[in-house]
Formats: sequence, C-alpha cells, structure tokens
Amino acid sequence: MDWSWSDEHRAFRRKIRGVLEKHLPADWEAKSKLDTSSAYVSRFSREFCPILAREGLLIPHWPKEFGGGGLDAFHHWILGEEMFAVGEPRSYQYMNVNWVGPAILRYGTEAQKREHIGRIAAGTHIWCQGFSEPSAGSDLASLTTRAERMIGGYVIDGMKIWTSGASLADYCFMLARTGGTRHEGISVFLVPMEPSGIAARPIPNLMGEFSLHETVFDRVEVPEGARLGEEGQGWSIVRQVMHNERIGQPRYTLSMRALDRAVARLKDTGKFGGQSVRADAGRAHAALVAAQSLALKVIDGRAKGHPADAMTSVARYALVVADRQVADFLGAYLTDDLMSAADPLISAAYRRTGSTGIAAGAAEIQLNLVARDHLHLPKN
Amino acid sequence: MDLDLTPDQAGLLDALGKLSAPFATQPAGAAQDFLVSTELDDRLTVSGFRDVANVDGMGVLDAVLLTEVVAALPYVTEFAASAIVAPKLGIQAGRPTVLIRQPLDAPVRFLTGAGTALIEDGNDVRIMDLTGQEVEALSAPFGYPLGRLRSAALGGDRIAGAAPALRQWWHIALAVEIGAVARAAVELTVQYVKDRRQFGRTIGSYQAVQHRLSECSVAVEAIRQLTRRAAATEDLEDALIAASYAKEACARIIYDTQQFHGAIGVTYEYPLHLWTYRLRLLQGELGSFADTASALAEVRWG
Repeated sequence: MDWSWSDEHRAFRRKIRGVLEKHLPADWEAKSKLDTSSAYVSRFSREFCPILAREGLLIPHWPKEFGGGGLDAFHHWILGEEMFAVGEPRSYQYMNVNWVGPAILRYGTEAQKREHIGRIAAGTHIWCQGFSEPSAGSDLASLTTRAERMIGGYVIDGMKIWTSGASLADYCFMLARTGGTRHEGISVFLVPMEPSGIAARPIPNLMGEFSLHETVFDRVEVPEGARLGEEGQGWSIVRQVMHNERIGQPRYTLSMRALDRAVARLKDTGKFGGQSVRADAGRAHAALVAAQSLALKVIDGRAKGHPADAMTSVARYALVVADRQVADFLGAYLTDDLMSAADPLISAAYRRTGSTGIAAGAAEIQLNLVARDHLHLPKN
Repeated sequence: MDLDLTPDQAGLLDALGKLSAPFATQPAGAAQDFLVSTELDDRLTVSGFRDVANVDGMGVLDAVLLTEVVAALPYVTEFAASAIVAPKLGIQAGRPTVLIRQPLDAPVRFLTGAGTALIEDGNDVRIMDLTGQEVEALSAPFGYPLGRLRSAALGGDRIAGAAPALRQWWHIALAVEIGAVARAAVELTVQYVKDRRQFGRTIGSYQAVQHRLSECSVAVEAIRQLTRRAAATEDLEDALIAASYAKEACARIIYDTQQFHGAIGVTYEYPLHLWTYRLRLLQGELGSFADTASALAEVRWG
C-alpha cells in the first residue's frame, strides 16, 4: 500500500498548474465566475482545450492509438482535480474526454470513431448529455423519448430536461427508446445539435448560466450511423458511463479552495476565533478529505483495470456529504460575502455545491446502490 | 499510489486471522460489559504482532492494518497503543501500553497494573512501568477494562519533546479503533436486519433502514481510508482529519446500530453492546469531536 504520488504524477500536476497559470486570464475568477456552464467559459474552452491538446493534457489517459498519452487513471484524476479546482475551464468538454469519447471508442463503429474522436481529441467540440426526461429522472429506465425506425435511420421524438450545456453543444449523447418498456428497449444516439427539429431552451436556475435546459426533439431525423452500439444496448452502455460520471468530477477541489478562502476572509475580519466556527470548518475539511480518499480508492481500482463496484456509490455519497457541509459552512458564516457576492470563488462554491446531491444520480439513489451492492441488503 | 494490500500485508493479516480466530466469536451466555482473554493478550505479544512497526521492511501502516482486525474482535485487548503509538516514540513496547493525559489519576482504558504507561507531561512524554502501581478498578458500561492510578507520583524516563508525536499517533490509533469497532457494529447490524422479519419481510428490506445503514457504511469506509492515509503520510493534519471524522461518525453509528436491533441490542446475551459501548467511550477520548475538529482547524489554518 502506497499513499504517495510518484515523481511522474507530481510532475504531471506541476505541468497542469503551469499551463493553467500561463493560459487562464488574470481576471479568470471574475470573468468566468467559475461557472462551467457560462457562455464565457464555453467560448473559452474552445480555445483552451486545443491548447491542452497541444500540451498532451486533453486526453492523457486515452490509449496512444487514439491520440492519447496512454497514462494511468491517476493522471486522469489529477487532471480533473486541477481543472475543477479553478472552475473547470474545459466547460462541458470534460464530459467528452471523461466518458463520451471512451464510450465511442468502446462501442462505436469505425465511421463513428472517424467522425467524433478526432474532434474530441482536438478540443473543438462540445457535447451534452440527453438522459433525464420530465417523467424519467432517478427512474431513468422509464424514459419515453422514441426513436422510430425509418428507411436509412430513425426519427427521434421526445423531450429531455435538465440538459447541461444543450444550447452551447455541438452534439448530444442521448438515450431514446427503440422498443420495449424498460431497460431492454433503450438505445444510445449521437445526435448533432444543428438539425431542424431540436429546440434547446435554457431554464433559468440557481446553479449556472446554461447549466439546465429543456431540449425538445420534434421529428428529428438521424441516420442509422448515429446509433451507438446495438439497438437495446443503451442501458448497459449507460451503466458503464454512469460509473465514470459519478466519480468523474473531483468536485471537492473547488470546495476545498473555497473553504480555505472562506476561512481566510473570516480570519481577516476577526471572526475565526470561536470554537464552533473552527470546529465547523474542521468538520467540513475532514469531510472533503474523506471524499477525496474514497475517490482515490475508486481510481485505484480503475488504474488496475478492475470493474467498477459499489465503492463508486460510497465515494459519491461521501462527496455529496462533504459539499453539503461546505455549503452549510458558507451559508452560516459567510452570509455577508454571499449577499454582496464579494468573492467569485465563495459564491461559485456555494452555488455549485447545491447540485452535488442531484447531479449524476440523486444521493438517495446512491444510498440504494450502497445498500444493494455494498451491504447486499434485500430488495425493498 | 497503490491502495491495495501488498502480498506481505495480506500474508500478515492472514496470519493474524488464524491467531485471532478462536476469539472472533462471543462465548455463549457471556453476561458482562466486556470480554478479556489473557491468552489472546499473550498470543499477540509472543507472536510479535505488537512490534510489527519495528520490523525491517514493515512499518506503522502495517500496525494500523493489524489494529483494524484486533480492535474489531469481541474480546478487548490493548493493541493500538503498543503497536502504533509506542514504536513512533522509539519504544520497543512488546507489552500492553496505556496512554495517559494528566491528571495522573484520570480514568483510562486497560489500566490494570501491568505493562507500560506513556504519560503526556507538558511537551515531554514519561515512560512509567506500571508493575506494582496501585490501581483502582473502575466499573462503568464502556466495553473496556477501566482503572485509575492511586497515589502515583509522576515518574519514569523522560522523552524530551515527544508529546506532539504522542498526540499525533494517539489520534491515529484512536481513529483506527473507532473505525474497526464501528465496522464490527455495522456488520453485525447488517446481518441482523437481513435475518429479522417483521410485517412479513426482513427489516433490512425497508428503505428507511437501508439508507441509514448505507450512511453508516460510507462513514466506516471513509474512516478506513483516512486512517491508512494518516499512517502512511505521517502528517499531523491527516491524523486530525481521521480522528475528527471518526469521532463525528460515532454518534450516528451508535444510535443506528442500536436502533435497528431493538431491545435485543441492549441485552448482555447479544454482543452488539461489546462494540457500541466501546464507541461511547472512544468518541470522547482525547476530547470531544469539536475539540479535535478545532485542533484540525488550528493545524490547517492557524
């Protein structure tokens, strides 16, 4: 057992920090508001991700044959830690490299790889994820968006909701029903966001500028080649994807920076002397490090090629608890700063930690999975 | 970074598993606050497990792994202090070790008039031989043998400047013990709710039960990673993180494991109390959760 980073891992982290230092504008926090979903960060990502690509930092964890660096899962995680710590300047392109690209590499045809992989690896295109629907949130398998067979392809009809970045995206990795009633009839489609019939309406919200949309697919025609994998294979593809997404963003790094800054502000104003504020800060910090340590355990399994297990849900729930404790701390002790929006990092962390228990599967769903797969408790 | 056991560590745990197997179950009808076994104590000493941190090629992380097993047994035996704390102060323990903060006559675990006491004395640590010391045995439902020194004068060899190391490794040892005891309590409860049927179904099939036990399990898994990390990095902040996280988790785990057992959980005939009443003591050792979390804040932010 070894808890230390290798020289190679440390050098990799230094390199990322160097690139961030050089390429993020000096007023990055004020401009970006550390909002992954903003138009500004989205535009920025289209310039920044090609820089990462040139530096070998966009897909370092992908196999070399597909343009990656062939580096281990810890390199991938370190990259995520450093990016999320500054508010994710890759915008939603983080999804491309975390799971969209890998899913296409694993399940895609040669033509699909030719069409998409080069663009993802160049850092020029943005993807969104079309999973949730008005009546299919936590119960994703009840989705009703249909993909009807027609000559040479499909016609997609239905509505997606809570789609992050839909109005900024070039493509949607979406689920639609090609038959059946539950899991067995679901297929994945890779749909360009341009064709007529797609309307992505931003839903004003408390999390981020374009973080939520209602996305309507009104008789959208796609060719057969837009389907990823076989008809009905969607659920098994998405299960694989969700494991990568649940422990995909090291959210604790932004929260940790925000907590450090919050304490610095409290100290500046002489408000960090009492035991309750100090204990609450310590509690939140311990929860963040707990979330990080469990995430590293998950990544350790990935690095060794083990199949994903219930530890993913354990780690995700720990992350939800930690982010909630940070939000509670900021809400309780940084009220003035939050009201005056005095610090973009503190405001962003307060806003973003609010969605940790909802995104990538509700916290209660994670607890169901822990009960079923980790504790092996009987079905309810 | 490699968070799996090495083959050596797996072998070590296998050997400990064999040694401790006879003590892994509660004897029938044991009606007492705690179970002790001099045979288990002797076996751990003779086998050299207490000294694993001093063995070439091994270290304190290995002692932590062993403590995870020993502290979870239904029998209580002093192990964490002798295997984790004493070696980090440069002491060849090899025998039960008691950790004492002043005042000297404070109630402590495992104080029975044998072994060695490591006593915090300002910035120093005193090593006191307990042989022949007059000890008052205390009786309280805390799952450990308890005692206090009577009319002892502070003495013994002085290790100058060792108190910070004592506190750091004591916090780690304490967190490892909490993690081990909490894991045993949660595992027993998970088994119980799988077996116990009410309203025609196992109570473990109710979501209200599942979610709370899952939250307990997340805490138990987190404590394991945090304590191993703290032992590996030897960093004071990591030690206080592990201890404050573990202490905070105690209240939830004590309550939920007890609650899901119903009345059987507070009987002597059923073993749950062997772990829950240890947790009740451990959550307050070295101060409250708030004390530990504040100490963490001091180290991280000043």
